[in-house]
Amino acid sequence: MASKYIIDTQAVPNRFEVLTQSGIIAWEEGCLKCPVCVKKQCVYGVYDNRDLDIRQMIDSLDNQCMNCLRCVQGCPKELIHKSINPEYEALGDSHWTPYVIAKSWYQAETGKIPVSGAGYSGPFSGPGFDSMWTDMSEIVRPTRDGIHGREYISTGIHLGKTPRHLTFTDSGDLDSDPSFLVDIPLPIILRIPPFGSLGKNTIKGWALAAKKLGTFLALPYEMIDEEIIAFKECLIPSISPAQPYGDDGLGGVRLIEVLWGKNWKAITRQITETHPSAMTAIRLPLVGGIKETVLSLVNSGVSIISLEGTSNGRLVDDNSVFMRDTIRSIHLALVEHGIRDEVTLLVGGGLSMAEHVAKAIICGADGVVIDLPILIALECRMCRRCTKELPCPVEIDQAASSWVASRTINLLGAWHNQILEIMGAMGIRDVRRLRGEAGRAMFFEDLDRNTFGSLGEVQEGYELE
Amino acid sequence: MSQTSKENKITLALFYCQNIPESGKQDRQSLEEEYGKSIRLFPIPCSGRLEPLHLLRALEEFADVAYVITCPEGECRYFDGNLRAKKRVQRTREIIESIGLEGERIGIVMNKNSKSLARQAHEIMENITHLRPSPVLSPHRAQQEKGEKRDNC
Repeated sequence: MASKYIIDTQAVPNRFEVLTQSGIIAWEEGCLKCPVCVKKQCVYGVYDNRDLDIRQMIDSLDNQCMNCLRCVQGCPKELIHKSINPEYEALGDSHWTPYVIAKSWYQAETGKIPVSGAGYSGPFSGPGFDSMWTDMSEIVRPTRDGIHGREYISTGIHLGKTPRHLTFTDSGDLDSDPSFLVDIPLPIILRIPPFGSLGKNTIKGWALAAKKLGTFLALPYEMIDEEIIAFKECLIPSISPAQPYGDDGLGGVRLIEVLWGKNWKAITRQITETHPSAMTAIRLPLVGGIKETVLSLVNSGVSIISLEGTSNGRLVDDNSVFMRDTIRSIHLALVEHGIRDEVTLLVGGGLSMAEHVAKAIICGADGVVIDLPILIALECRMCRRCTKELPCPVEIDQAASSWVASRTINLLGAWHNQILEIMGAMGIRDVRRLRGEAGRAMFFEDLDRNTFGSLGEVQEGYELE
Repeated sequence: MSQTSKENKITLALFYCQNIPESGKQDRQSLEEEYGKSIRLFPIPCSGRLEPLHLLRALEEFADVAYVITCPEGECRYFDGNLRAKKRVQRTREIIESIGLEGERIGIVMNKNSKSLARQAHEIMENITHLRPSPVLSPHRAQQEKGEKRDNC
């Protein structure tokens, strides 16, 4: 059995003060000067070591406060209040919520699974992957010594075509062509985000992280320079059909990605000729009628297909449809045609949490491609100022490559542990077995229809009493 | 942005209560696009949260002028946060005047007519055009200017 894949994480401090959900408003005026002040009674001593971060004007009170509210309740003159921090509220958007961003920061800082404690207070069901639950029936029989214990749960996948069967000659030699397969120990591939204040060290740091994790970093072909090409065994250069491509120094690259376009075939042929040892992947935008395109690509011999939704997890041509159901339909179509194992399906776009990785795989993907989470790991606030050429509030381009790499590894380490937790609870010991296991998941729409469908529908203009 | 302010390269630290109208993320970014590095915006949950230290440290570290925009009198969500902010700004003004800085470098705007953040920021920028860059941030330059004046005499 292969040696156990464990991602070593260690705490990497933030470069900037974290934005907290709430802040303390403590007024001095009107203070009764009680002999035993609630501020002095604070068990965390937050009032004793106050400081002000000049760059962001953040009071240390906000970052150190543990929200026990003892001071708010205890002050006899009610001079202490807690209020929502407007900067926290302004983080991200409706998909990349402040909560998701803050928890990603925590994971990148500590490398640990975020634990909310005290139960789950969120909604019962939500859009997209939030209306999908995994069958955790095996959680009653956890492994005796945890997810890193004696029982081995594999998160490794292979990229490429798996032959249905092997044929041998009479002398016992392999008769069929040996197929290319690339193994990665994590079903996650990194991709350069669509925006971000990126410096050379940022790209280098991500390449370093990909190398240490044993996975790949997909990046535009024109971003590869002399320094980055040193990581060639873990790079996926993306070649756009719109731009001229010439063979310059991509020798040794194991995987090359071609963006969907009119002349993708010609470029793929050119790559196969110039780099016979490299595998080729096709990257497609995830649109409504993509199923037929995928089927025809697989029939024409494409072995890796990367499907890219929008950054909020929806179809590129229809913002009202979540990519979840489209992935399922593509997977099922491939199964029906008996060609599922002839292609590796990678899915990207809008995957913001570890659970999305497992859920995308359950819907039928082999692996996922993530972009914005590795930017958020670097303290990005998703303010998109960089797209307007405004200065980055956390100066990501100034970060050292070692810091970038460690933060990314921490995030992926925490995600890996969460994937192991999910698989352990589902009783699945190999992530390849998780692919398309929709029978081990429940979908809110199905449950709702099955349970309440027979009761009829509420007519428009009427309300249930 | 006025020409004078551009030439002087005045940096304004603008603290504002989150409850003032049109002060969301997009409004904030539009202002930053317009003024570039001349403006630093700090939304706060309540203007009563502001302490003299915030204003003084801003003047000490990066700002030539520091202003606060509060809700109108009597409309503070925390009852008297804006009144407290007013008193604190007055006190901070006294402090900077005592060390020889112009008191106008610190100001407060009680948003009486519920103007938008952008409109308030424009008005403040217009009001501070006559101020020179702070000698606190460029003491060497201030000394040079003093020397030139003495020579002229």
